[in-house]
Amino acid sequence: MNDPYETLGVAKTASADDIRKAYRKLAKKLHPDLNPGDKQAEERFKEVSVANDLLSDPEKRRRFDAGEIDASGAEKAPPNARYYRDYAAQGGHPYEGHSAYGDFAQGDDLFADLLRRSAEQARRRPGADLHYELPIDFLDAVNGADKTITLPQGGTLNVTIPAGVEDGQTLRLRGKGAPSPGEGPPGDALVQIAVRPHRYFTREGADIILDLPITVKEAALGAEVRTPTTTGSVMLKIPKRSNTGDMLRLRGKGVKTRGGTGDERVRLKVMMPTGAEPELDAFLADWKPATDYDPRKGM
Amino acid sequence: MITEREFLERARLDRRTLSIWIEEEWLIPAQVADERAFTDMDLARANLIRDLRDNMGVNDEGLDVVLHLVDQMHALRRALAAALESARDQRPSSGR
Repeated sequence: MNDPYETLGVAKTASADDIRKAYRKLAKKLHPDLNPGDKQAEERFKEVSVANDLLSDPEKRRRFDAGEIDASGAEKAPPNARYYRDYAAQGGHPYEGHSAYGDFAQGDDLFADLLRRSAEQARRRPGADLHYELPIDFLDAVNGADKTITLPQGGTLNVTIPAGVEDGQTLRLRGKGAPSPGEGPPGDALVQIAVRPHRYFTREGADIILDLPITVKEAALGAEVRTPTTTGSVMLKIPKRSNTGDMLRLRGKGVKTRGGTGDERVRLKVMMPTGAEPELDAFLADWKPATDYDPRKGM
Repeated sequence: MITEREFLERARLDRRTLSIWIEEEWLIPAQVADERAFTDMDLARANLIRDLRDNMGVNDEGLDVVLHLVDQMHALRRALAAALESARDQRPSSGR
């Protein structure tokens, strides 16, 4: 990381105004949108932006001068990660300038021919892909569902969510994107799935994880308890003397994925009664364990 | 597509400024039904306008000129790229 004063070309004693002026001067020269295709200018612009970010903030500058942070400590992503030029490089948008080569494109010469062909290509260019985000419930992600997106620009889009879809996964709907600016095919709709968390289920790959609270009595004596799965409740057999943290497996009750169906893993959580239980207290006060019992033996 | 509300937030603009920019045709959002619909390109352009105004001291009069020239430059770059590509395609089998 370079010295930010050097990067901006100012003295260490420069005033805030000097710094602003120096930054403006460099930004005008190096801004990526004013230098499309110049990789070097872009790199320099990034450095200059970082340096300005550091030195234009009095607090950050003070800390840098005092040696509390280094130049890279103030580094952050440039505010616009994608520049206008990244879009303007393609044709078929409302800001397109047409007249710039009108004079030498007239007539039947070679260049006019090339330009005609490029215009023809632009006309056949497919429409843009449109990106949407679709939040869905946890159970819809596990079991699959049909959803309808209401589009900001009006109209709706039907999305079939396949069972087992994962958070962050993108579904591509062919031909449901923006229409071609010319006569090409429409683009695709890309729907990114955001899975809302569930009140008690979580997911690990194809497995469903559930923390199941049980009473002290169920833990000690064993029991059959109603246990939710993503497809309805089942009775789960709790073995005698189960502990918090013990994992029981419901085979095939996980997520159906292409790689097979997962299990539901039930993690037991023994809960003491919260109300007053004088009998339990009295019993425990008199209780002498039959075996040597020290849960902290290994510590 | 980006709704107007989201656009204002992401471009860090207020409604009044946006309507001026649209009036000046610095931004040309799509109009669907009664709603304005913005693209990522509109957003990048808004960022460019802000950079020009806030960081480079371009005033409103100058902005018109700069945006126009930037768009002309992109049209020329595209034309040149297309011309070069066609020329490359037409080159008699150069080793490929």
